[in-house]
Amino acid sequence: MKEAAVSEDEVRILASELDPHFKYEVAEEPGGENIKVCFSCGVCTAGCPVSEIDPGYNPRKIVRMVLLGMREQVLASDFIWLCTLCYTCYARCPQNVRFTDVMGALRNMAVREGHVHPSFLKAVDGIAEFTQRLRHDMLVKALAKRKKKTEFRISDYKKVVNESLAGRA
Amino acid sequence: MEKENGQKVGAVLVVGGGIAGVQASLDLAESGYYVYLVEKSAGIGGTMAQLDKTFPTNDCSMCILSPKLVECGRHLNIEVMTCAELAEMQGSAGDFRVKVRKRARYVDSDKCTGCGECAEVCPVEMPNLFEEGLGTRKAIFRAFAQTYPSCFAIEKKQRPACEAACPAGVNPQGYVALIGEKKYAEALALIRENNPFPAVCGRVCHHPCEADCRRNEVDDPVAIAALKRFVADWERDHADECEPPSPFEITRPEKVAIVGSGPSGLTAAYHLGKLGYEATVFEALPVAGGMLRVGIPEYRLPRDVLDAEIDWLERLGIQIRLNTPIGDGFSLEDLKSSGFSAVYVAVGAHTGLKLGVAGEDLPGVLDGVAFLREVNLGRKVRLGRKVAVIGGGNVAIDSARTARRLGSDVTILYRRSRAEMPAREEEIVAAEHEGIAIEYLTAPTGFKAKRSKVAGVECTRMKLGKPDASGRRRPVPVEGSEFVFDTDTVIAAIGQSPETSFLGNGESIGVTRRGTIEVDAETGMAGRGGVFAGGDAVSGPATVVEAIAAGKRAAHSIDRYLRGESCGVATAATVADPLEERHIPYTTERKPRQSMPELLAEPRVKSFDEVELGFDEQAALAEADRCLSCGVCSECKQCETACKAEAIVHSMHDETVELNVGAIVLAPGFDEFVPNEKYEYGYGRFPNVVTSIQFERILSASGPYSGHVVKPSDGQAPDKIAFIQCVGSRDTNCGNSYCSSVCCTYAIKEAIIAKEHLSTVKPTIFFMERRTYGKDFDKYAERAQSEYGVEFISSGVSDVAEDPDTHDLSVRYTGEDGSPKSMRFDMVVLSVGLQAPQSAEQLANDLGIRLNKDRFALTRPFSPLETSRDAVYVCGAFSGPKDIPQTVADASGAAGGASALLASARHSLTRVKEYPPETDVSADEPRVGVFVCHCGINIGGVVNVPEVKEFASTLDGVVFADENLYTCSQDTQERMKELIREHNLNRIVVASCSPRTHEPLFRETVREAGLNPYLFEMTNIRDQCSWVHREEPEKATEKAKALVRMAVAKARLLEPLYPRSLELTHEALVIGGGLSGMVAALALADQGFPVRLIEKERELGGNTRRLHYSLNGGDPQRFLNSLLDKVLTNDLITIQTETTLVDFSGFVGNFEAGLMTAGKTYVETIKVGAVIVAVGAQEYRPDEYLYGADPRVVTALELEEKLTNNDGGLNGSKNVVMIQCVGSREPDYMYCSRNCCAQAVKNALKLKEANSEINVYVLYRDMRTYGFLEEYYRKARDKGVIFIKYDSDEKPSVETVTNNGSRQLRVTVDDRILGAKLLIDADVVALSTGVRPAVGNREIAQLLKVPLNEEGFFLEAHMKLRPVDFATEGVFVCGLAHAPKSLEESIAQAKAAAGRAATILAKDTVLGEGIVSNIDADSCSTCRMCVGVCPYGAISYDYNKKIVEVNDALCKGCGTCVAACPTGAMTARHFTDAQIYAQIEAALK
Repeated sequence: MKEAAVSEDEVRILASELDPHFKYEVAEEPGGENIKVCFSCGVCTAGCPVSEIDPGYNPRKIVRMVLLGMREQVLASDFIWLCTLCYTCYARCPQNVRFTDVMGALRNMAVREGHVHPSFLKAVDGIAEFTQRLRHDMLVKALAKRKKKTEFRISDYKKVVNESLAGRA
Repeated sequence: MEKENGQKVGAVLVVGGGIAGVQASLDLAESGYYVYLVEKSAGIGGTMAQLDKTFPTNDCSMCILSPKLVECGRHLNIEVMTCAELAEMQGSAGDFRVKVRKRARYVDSDKCTGCGECAEVCPVEMPNLFEEGLGTRKAIFRAFAQTYPSCFAIEKKQRPACEAACPAGVNPQGYVALIGEKKYAEALALIRENNPFPAVCGRVCHHPCEADCRRNEVDDPVAIAALKRFVADWERDHADECEPPSPFEITRPEKVAIVGSGPSGLTAAYHLGKLGYEATVFEALPVAGGMLRVGIPEYRLPRDVLDAEIDWLERLGIQIRLNTPIGDGFSLEDLKSSGFSAVYVAVGAHTGLKLGVAGEDLPGVLDGVAFLREVNLGRKVRLGRKVAVIGGGNVAIDSARTARRLGSDVTILYRRSRAEMPAREEEIVAAEHEGIAIEYLTAPTGFKAKRSKVAGVECTRMKLGKPDASGRRRPVPVEGSEFVFDTDTVIAAIGQSPETSFLGNGESIGVTRRGTIEVDAETGMAGRGGVFAGGDAVSGPATVVEAIAAGKRAAHSIDRYLRGESCGVATAATVADPLEERHIPYTTERKPRQSMPELLAEPRVKSFDEVELGFDEQAALAEADRCLSCGVCSECKQCETACKAEAIVHSMHDETVELNVGAIVLAPGFDEFVPNEKYEYGYGRFPNVVTSIQFERILSASGPYSGHVVKPSDGQAPDKIAFIQCVGSRDTNCGNSYCSSVCCTYAIKEAIIAKEHLSTVKPTIFFMERRTYGKDFDKYAERAQSEYGVEFISSGVSDVAEDPDTHDLSVRYTGEDGSPKSMRFDMVVLSVGLQAPQSAEQLANDLGIRLNKDRFALTRPFSPLETSRDAVYVCGAFSGPKDIPQTVADASGAAGGASALLASARHSLTRVKEYPPETDVSADEPRVGVFVCHCGINIGGVVNVPEVKEFASTLDGVVFADENLYTCSQDTQERMKELIREHNLNRIVVASCSPRTHEPLFRETVREAGLNPYLFEMTNIRDQCSWVHREEPEKATEKAKALVRMAVAKARLLEPLYPRSLELTHEALVIGGGLSGMVAALALADQGFPVRLIEKERELGGNTRRLHYSLNGGDPQRFLNSLLDKVLTNDLITIQTETTLVDFSGFVGNFEAGLMTAGKTYVETIKVGAVIVAVGAQEYRPDEYLYGADPRVVTALELEEKLTNNDGGLNGSKNVVMIQCVGSREPDYMYCSRNCCAQAVKNALKLKEANSEINVYVLYRDMRTYGFLEEYYRKARDKGVIFIKYDSDEKPSVETVTNNGSRQLRVTVDDRILGAKLLIDADVVALSTGVRPAVGNREIAQLLKVPLNEEGFFLEAHMKLRPVDFATEGVFVCGLAHAPKSLEESIAQAKAAAGRAATILAKDTVLGEGIVSNIDADSCSTCRMCVGVCPYGAISYDYNKKIVEVNDALCKGCGTCVAACPTGAMTARHFTDAQIYAQIEAALK
């Protein structure tokens, strides 16, 4: 289902074309355990700062789509990447659906199934590289100070880090 | 009580005095059992008393509850035990021994008349919990006016910290509270109970009370001492307004001598005087006051203040002999031989201690106390220019500040640091302000002399070492730090000891190593008998208040000694149990401590004028307001003074009573959810966010805002009110995952009532599911929408935010289109859920019963009223959240259960009232006695009662008139009886309060005096005179006279009435052999009553035959079979199948029923005392959604059958769709069938259980899985069942489509969340069809003369409080005949109907009403207007005799027939034309 289509008057969804097993898969995924208990009260959406800006992002609807089995429409969507992880819905959900964690589960599944936008991957790699360098520099500095007391050779570590960075690039 | 082994006890304990407990008690007492009703709070009434109106009839909650409370409270066989809790239980079913702990209420309920004068004078205000904290109440209180008992109660916590800290035992909370009320004289009197020196202590006390004051935890302690000074000063300034002290009454022959006129001696004399002894004080100096006079400088304690205080003591009768030292010339022995039976030695400690260093005797080295004494005695003391004071105590500071005032430059040398300084902090600060230098850590080691006069102090610098015995760090010298401090004069003030040389040799009184007098620690006695000692002379130098405490102790010791008792130290006053630690609410407002105004430092050092100027009234009131009232009751004893009935007993203790009962009924109710933890909703932070129960109080006319709908923030009317549902319900985060069942309907009710109170208000209800599943609730909700404009928004609420300036609130929710929305409101009401009571675990432990996971009482399937322990029953919200009708039905059912268990002991412990024979006064002239009530000052404070009484005695027929302080009090009742006999009275009039509460009492008294109880007339001069005309006493008095005149006029014409008493048939008829009918029949048979059970079908069992499994694990078929077995084998139950009721007549206790059995040719007529209608209902047969047209479309019950039999091709099914509300909540059937949601969940779970891969879609309008059913709804979702909400105007459609050559069932539903149509190809479509009334209801209703509701269900007498009764007495209803309900609910209701029927069948006779209609056959035209209007069917036309007859047993005396009768043939007894005309004429005189 495409987002644009939903807002039109007469959208018809054929249940037989959906994947009813999808909800169980999400529930198996770490973070997705409680998705099925949602009773659609809408507290999550009412307090969501993203929904306020972008009505296309609608936690209650995302849950319903998962429960009905709209696998492709969810995992290939842009909206699962919009959550800011503020945990407001998580804290207030009366059924303890833990929606923020559900988003994590959905993102993991999306990544596994190749539904990630390239720009996102690029950003993630950038961050990963930056943090690795940061760690590397800090460790080198720290180890240099206690050089006498350690058997560890800095060059070994450098090697590992550099290999790792090379591998990602 | 004597009883044999195994014999059952005919008494029942009911726990909880809410509506459930009250109803259970009444039913049990009426069924022949003695009842102990144990209620935790001070009065019965429970939560229902807090409600404004009740849904769906909008009856006033209190109006319908109050008569029940009165009935319960007055019942001869119900003992209401308030402030009581179950403490322990032993024994077994039928014979329990229970212990009940009764907390002291501090008011004698036999004496208290409930007049309320005590609360008027009580100075302690507490948040009013009955008003949910929206208003305040006093420490002495009654939760609400209509509670029983009407007796007040005092809330006491442990004694407050301030009082505990005061050595003299003064009660600061008490006098601070009184000051807050501007009751200065009373405050002073309270201080003086313990301490005769308020002015002194208000100035110089070191106030340990303030150190311990709990206000310290908020900001600063209350300025207790300064407040004491304020009242003392106030008395001095208003001497002319104050009562002069009344001298002691000397009641004891012994005289007591006191040596020393210091605070200790004078206090002892004071307390001895209060105890009735003549006390004489001997003083060596020419002035009285001891250290107060010669030790404390004038700038701290002005002479005139001290003089006034001593003068006051002298005016009380204390004699002070000045210049009379005891010693060589006149010894202690001499005192005793000159007629004093005891002596108290309180000579103080006036000798300064020596430093013990070289040069101490040099001229210019002075002793601190001696220096102060000289100055204070007005003698000239020469000081040098530069003075060094040695020491860090109060004497040192006093010496320094005095020296400063004498013009010297002063430095204090102190060997420790400031933190260790023993002087009062205020004193140190004042000294610093006055320019006095303090050298800390400086110890003198010697003196330097110059011209044989002191010229300097040799000092060493010190540092602090390890702590010493006093806990302070010991100063140790710093090596090589010696120096000389140059000075002209040294004042050494390092301590004092008493002068004990006067004790002489012959006195055999010991002296300690410290030089103080040795006394017995227990008794305070020194040496030989009769001599006591105390104060500084014993303790060494201490504080004023300690000296006062010692004086008080000595007085009591001496008293006990003289009375020959053991003279041990008086034990501390009794304290209330250390109850829970009271937390200071975090909302407590910070208020700064009032600062003490002082003279400026610069001018003040030039004089001895008082430095501290004292509080003005405004400051004192502001300061008093800071008290946290830690002890709640302040024991100021104002109530004692105000209570004319002498009912207040501050010394009351808790007690434990042991009871022997056969069974226990638990009805402790519930606690409301406190929404503090739903922080996002702002409760407790935003003033205009209130809970629903607070809103009930806001709506209530007797509530904090007198029923005006206003915002708590500013008292203005709100424009928009939001109701947020499910606060603390259906919320796993707060631990309450169940549905609270009642909130949806009560929120609608509150919205409607708010609208009725304030037509401009716009209520909006935010809900997730509208669960108005009860009888007629959906119609109520529809009306809320259509008639009252209540807006319903289907969304949870994320949070509530406040505009801090306007206190306006904005509510965030999800809109129709799925996007976040925000709406502005003036007020937000949180519909808080119900939770198990706090006492649940305790009760469960004490009784050995089990609780469910939500802490409610655990019940088994099909046994909704039984706990896990035999003979312990449960009713009301303690077994799960439920509304009032279900609660009341539960209560009657639980009572029935206990009643059946104990049937062999019925009437064994109940009491029957014995009356003296009735005097026949019919031939006598009226001799009216009038009793006019003062009601304390409730009436007497406005109406001139003596005048009304005088007026009454002048009226025709009145032979006696009297006035009473409280006419209703026990002793007045006795007196009334005597007066009736003495004056031969034959008509009685009481002019007092409301007949509603008091008429039965007075009638009883009149009957006990041997008169017919109907020869009594009452008039209400409280509500109608003193209350409404408070501002116009003369007019109120005139009106009272007029009312009395009317009452007397009627009384003269009163006639004795005799309620008819009739025999009855102890057998019942149950119509309907389904589950309810069988349960009811069995319950009655268990109670020992024969039952005729008729069923129109060939088989018993009804709808239950179609149920095969249940959500809670119970097996309906097994239950049904065991029930059938019991019913069929019970000898007392006669079953007739294929039988219908065809004829019915008679009245309660004496009905005649005509039964027609298939195949028989005659009607069998049987006599029964009571009838239970249990005709059941039927499943709706739908014609929509292709039902009947396609075999794959079935009803939910048919699906259940398929699933049980495992046929119908469900094995291969992939998709099952359930459609809810088929035939329910439709225009003509606007009610919820209540069972279908649970039925759908049940079937869905069953399907998922068999095949977890099956897709189940439930299309619903509102999932109404109320109460604990919510858990299964959650479970179904967790198992993967898909729930899709549809709107009633956009119903799903079912059609068949051809797909791959097969005819496919296709369900289309509009999914609002997706904004799309969902097309489901279903293998089975199950329709959750509604419940429809049974077909024959109309005929049965006509025969029984009972009503049906719009849809054809039987309509009970009262939706709330008589849920299984009909207005026709003796006829009851239960089960589906009444309305759709679950199996468990039907069982509870069936038991209730049986329990209610038993209250009739258990009696020997039926007693009718005395006030009934009477027809004069001669003037009757037989028009039969009366027959039609009588709401009780009491009037009938006898076609044979051709006359109209009134059946006394049915008539309720409502008088409708009298109004309808065109010929005047009908008369209402007790309200005859003659009587009413006489009243009218009297009114017009």
